[in-house]
Amino acid sequence: MRLGVSCLLAALFATLPAGAAAQPLPIAAGEEVLVERDGSGHYGRRLVVALRAEPRTFNPAIAADAPSREVIGRMTGDLIHINRSTQLTEAALARGWTRSTDGREYTLTLRKGIRFSDGQPFDADDVVFTFRAMLDERTGAPQRDLLIVGGQPVRVTKVDAHTVRVALAQPYAAAERLFDSIAILPEHLLAGAYARGALAEAWPLTTSAGAIAGLGPYRLKEYTAGQRLVLERNPFYWKADAAKRRLPYMDEIVFLFAGTEDAQIIRFQSGESDILNRASADNFTALARNGSARHRLEDLGPGLEYNFLVFNQNDLSGKGLPQIESRQRWFGDLGFRRAVSRAVDRESIARLVYRGRAVPLWGNVSPGNRRWVNASIARPARSVSEARAILKTSGFSWRPDGALLDQQGQRVAFTIVTSSSNTQRTEMATLVQADLKELGMDVQVVPLEFRALVDRVFQTFDYDASILGLGGGDADPNSEMSVWLSTGSNHLWRLGQKTPATAWEAEVDRLMAQQLVTLDSRERKRLFDRVQELVAEQLPFIFLAAPHILVGARPDLGNFQPSVLDHYTLWNVDRLFIQPDGSQRR
Amino acid sequence: MTRGRARALVVVLAALHLLVLLAGFVAPYDPVDQARALPFAPPVRLHVIDADGRFHPRPFVYALVPDPATADGYMEDRSRRFPVQMMVRGARYSVLPGLESNLHLVGVETPGRLFLLGTDGFGRDLLSRLLHGGRVSVGAGLLATLSALLIGMVLGTVAGFSGGRIDGGVMWAANLFMAVPWLYLLFAARAALPLHIDTRATFLLLVTVLGVVGWARPARLIRGVVLSARERTYVLAARGFGANPLYLLRRHLLPHTFGVALTQAGLLVPQYILAEVTLSFLGLGVGEPTPSWGTMLGSLQQYDVLTSYWWMFAPAVALVVTAVTYHAVTSAVHGRIRLVTT
Amino acid sequence: MRVVFRYVARSLITLASVSVFSFLLLELAPGDFFTDLRAETRVGPETVEALRNQYGLTRSPLARYWQWLQSFVSGDLGFSLAHRAPVASVLWVRAGNTLLLTVPALLVTWALALPLGIWAARRRGRWPDRLCGGATSTLLALPDLLVALLLLLLALRTGLFPTGGMLSPGAEDMSVTARVRDFAAHAFLPLCALVVTTLPAVFRHVRASMIEAAGAPAVQAARGLGIRPSRLTLRFVLPLAANPLVSLAGLSIATLLSASLLIEVVMSWPGLGPLLVEALLAKDVHVVLSASMLATGLLVLGNLAADLTLVGIDPRIRA
Repeated sequence: MRLGVSCLLAALFATLPAGAAAQPLPIAAGEEVLVERDGSGHYGRRLVVALRAEPRTFNPAIAADAPSREVIGRMTGDLIHINRSTQLTEAALARGWTRSTDGREYTLTLRKGIRFSDGQPFDADDVVFTFRAMLDERTGAPQRDLLIVGGQPVRVTKVDAHTVRVALAQPYAAAERLFDSIAILPEHLLAGAYARGALAEAWPLTTSAGAIAGLGPYRLKEYTAGQRLVLERNPFYWKADAAKRRLPYMDEIVFLFAGTEDAQIIRFQSGESDILNRASADNFTALARNGSARHRLEDLGPGLEYNFLVFNQNDLSGKGLPQIESRQRWFGDLGFRRAVSRAVDRESIARLVYRGRAVPLWGNVSPGNRRWVNASIARPARSVSEARAILKTSGFSWRPDGALLDQQGQRVAFTIVTSSSNTQRTEMATLVQADLKELGMDVQVVPLEFRALVDRVFQTFDYDASILGLGGGDADPNSEMSVWLSTGSNHLWRLGQKTPATAWEAEVDRLMAQQLVTLDSRERKRLFDRVQELVAEQLPFIFLAAPHILVGARPDLGNFQPSVLDHYTLWNVDRLFIQPDGSQRR
Repeated sequence: MTRGRARALVVVLAALHLLVLLAGFVAPYDPVDQARALPFAPPVRLHVIDADGRFHPRPFVYALVPDPATADGYMEDRSRRFPVQMMVRGARYSVLPGLESNLHLVGVETPGRLFLLGTDGFGRDLLSRLLHGGRVSVGAGLLATLSALLIGMVLGTVAGFSGGRIDGGVMWAANLFMAVPWLYLLFAARAALPLHIDTRATFLLLVTVLGVVGWARPARLIRGVVLSARERTYVLAARGFGANPLYLLRRHLLPHTFGVALTQAGLLVPQYILAEVTLSFLGLGVGEPTPSWGTMLGSLQQYDVLTSYWWMFAPAVALVVTAVTYHAVTSAVHGRIRLVTT
Repeated sequence: MRVVFRYVARSLITLASVSVFSFLLLELAPGDFFTDLRAETRVGPETVEALRNQYGLTRSPLARYWQWLQSFVSGDLGFSLAHRAPVASVLWVRAGNTLLLTVPALLVTWALALPLGIWAARRRGRWPDRLCGGATSTLLALPDLLVALLLLLLALRTGLFPTGGMLSPGAEDMSVTARVRDFAAHAFLPLCALVVTTLPAVFRHVRASMIEAAGAPAVQAARGLGIRPSRLTLRFVLPLAANPLVSLAGLSIATLLSASLLIEVVMSWPGLGPLLVEALLAKDVHVVLSASMLATGLLVLGNLAADLTLVGIDPRIRA
């Protein structure tokens, strides 16, 4: 035993070579770097970030969990990027692009003379390789489905060493946005694994730093299992500041693994981490109370996420769920859903669950999505009497003891399932339960383990209602196709439809398909506004609230420009720096 | 340990259970009633001297209003006193199935609120939740203990009495049961249950599963006792006279195991009450809004609750008091604690 | 020789049954590793199905168990779907970190519990005993989760200790002594939490065994002969009490990899705890299976160590 322990100690304390940080290389002639106009900073220092959990892989093609994506996002680059601050697309690895008149072909001009983080040059072959690899079914890339347009994968061909052509099966509005976050892979390192059909197993966490390369501002320096992950400056990075100095400013980023969200907050409060990427409202409030002077806390207003209550309207024939089928009489009744919507106290949800750091919601687009939200959607205030009147006209009645009965005299009672790991949604369910009690409905809240919840909502349909959230991705309506199309894989209230079950769903299908191929953005907005109106009228979801994005950073962090799009705080990591005259906490 | 002390401890334990059993009467409010204007209100202050310095023999409280000076603090509205009254009518509760009442031990007139232990994030009275939660938690502890002991007694006695292959088999199974990750059984059990049964029933069922799984340790101990009792001279003598095995068991062996079983019960009950905390940690506890000590403690994991609202530690205090009393009674009754949980 | 063979065979059977049992339990819980991809707006059900196919999750349970067993025996310990890498590559490091915490904690616990227990037993019923009894039953009543949280709160309020992790960022550039100090600062609170939660039980065992042994005829006789109490305790009572204590120590060894799981999660210790909780929730089956194999293996080893020690110190037992 003692021998084992001393071995372990030796392993722990063995002195590692303390390498100096890689210095940024001077910009070579003919190297087409991207010059960031604003926000100049100072070189040096390290940024410490506490992740909620440990990343699982360095492989950009297969990463599906948030911590892995947070890390990989700093190590890779994309062709066209969505500026998280303006929410518009901008040139990245592609210096520019043109669209053919029919909107089905894009020609991208790549930057010349730029290199991967291992010094190898980047060209059109890497781009072609990346798309081939991502689209290959053996890779199992979660981003693959994004690259299927009009039922066909996008075709990427090389024109010359620095030009690629991307062909789509049909015109596709905002096609540029597809390229965001598609990390360009180094063909010279991954072609072998891909040829063996083993790309999915490439670059596990145990990979040595030399075997990984990307086009991001940082590259892998060291990974210590379970403890931390250190990225160092990519000395070849393809961006420079206004003074033509190569970015990024900071020498290193250290990722720690906190384990829980609360541990993340504690590490931040104690000054052991420098950035808080997203805090829940209650923790944010407590943080503000417990020493706001040491932190810079920012409330960015509502994000894109919308939380809602959904009733199970799935086709249950042959599922053997007669009880739920009998309750679907109510769930399918628009009057019932409208009454529920009128009775829900959204203001209390925003105030109690989110400590006032959320906006009540009546439609599917959060006010945080400024470009696309339809501001004219009605926002009726809570009214129990209105709700009762609606129920009455729909044929519901009340027992003397106040219990609600349907047309056939059946007591209105159902359950709401939520994810037990999501405190906010469980709390919302608790409030909704109390609200609906005032209508005489007997509602039970059942928190389930997430996997069990997904299994019920997506697979077995064995549930009455659930509180869920959607919309963390892009601001563009295209990212929501799978929710609103009646055939979509996230058309939660009625999944797996061959043909739309109702006239309004058919209309939404038509509108969504039309906006997809409409290139004029004004016209697209008009179409999507109509979708929002239809959804707000028909209430397939009872929308509840859109939480604010709450972030924090050490006060001396320069160029800190958090955004409501993911990644909220580190999206401009290449320009972040620590003020040299700042507090010397580390 | 004197007799009187032991008796006193038993009385305390009984009082604890009575308090929890009569939760509806002792608690001033319905545990699920939300005072949405008063989330995280601190425990109310009882006054006997009013704002003008006058003395009132009957304690009174002031209503709470948001404190404009802080973001989420409260202050007292001194314009009106609300005297604390005994035996008031309030929210309905069920004493026993089928028997309802609305009589409460103490209360104040609305809009005054008698939040003796403050409120949680929904503005629910913490004292009422604590008392009602005790029903679930203590009930769960007793039920799980009962099932663990029952199975443990049967298997342990059989193993110790028969010896040989049967003994080997049972003890092997006991070892096995102590090594398997039971968490999944709970996940599976929860997933397999229909959603529409009462959350409390679901929860009690889960706890029973926990108890059933926990038979191994008591079984080992009881087997040990039976094994040693079997070799006692009077047992050997009785056997020599041709007493039948059932008689031996009933007359000579089982009485020996009662002491161990009782001791074990005293230790297992608080342990299973604690287990409920872990269950809640994993989201397998009793569902909202039904209170239990485990789910109430679970909220302490949240950074804001941990650092900001000290009264939310109340369930921890209740838990410790209950467990300490159980341990004390056990050691008082038994004279000494033989084996404790590891 | 035959005894050794039988022991090994029995241990193997135990290990095998634990794995089968655990596997069946994992089968019962709904969903698999890729289920939560269904909730992603950007991923279609066909892609999820293809992934399940590719990693053999659509095969029969028997085939999947066999797949794990083969990989386990080969030393890879299975394949982690979350890490897309052999389980061995993620498991051993963390098991080592857990031991770095639990081994010192175990030593400290016994170093405290043994003298305290002996002391309390000798003053049975008097105030030191009462005090220890009261203190330990209070500690027994505290869930380890709560203990960890309270210590964390202490760290946060005083700023004296780091609030998580095992080494500071930048520890790789420190000198060896600075790094040892850094490690000690990080380990202190989790260690305290672990000692506080395991001490009461061990203390009570020690005390109970000592009291039981003190009542033995041999001790009574020795006492009758007028042997000094301290000598009596050390030479007569302690050896008699050794038997159950050694078994208990064996059990303590068995919990080396499991006692600290929850504390590790709350205090962000890079051990098995966070890995296992993630794997449990993500249903990364092979990680869970192999980790429980490791724990069971330790249980078997702990029992073996206890048995061998007993053979060494107790002349009555001959294997």
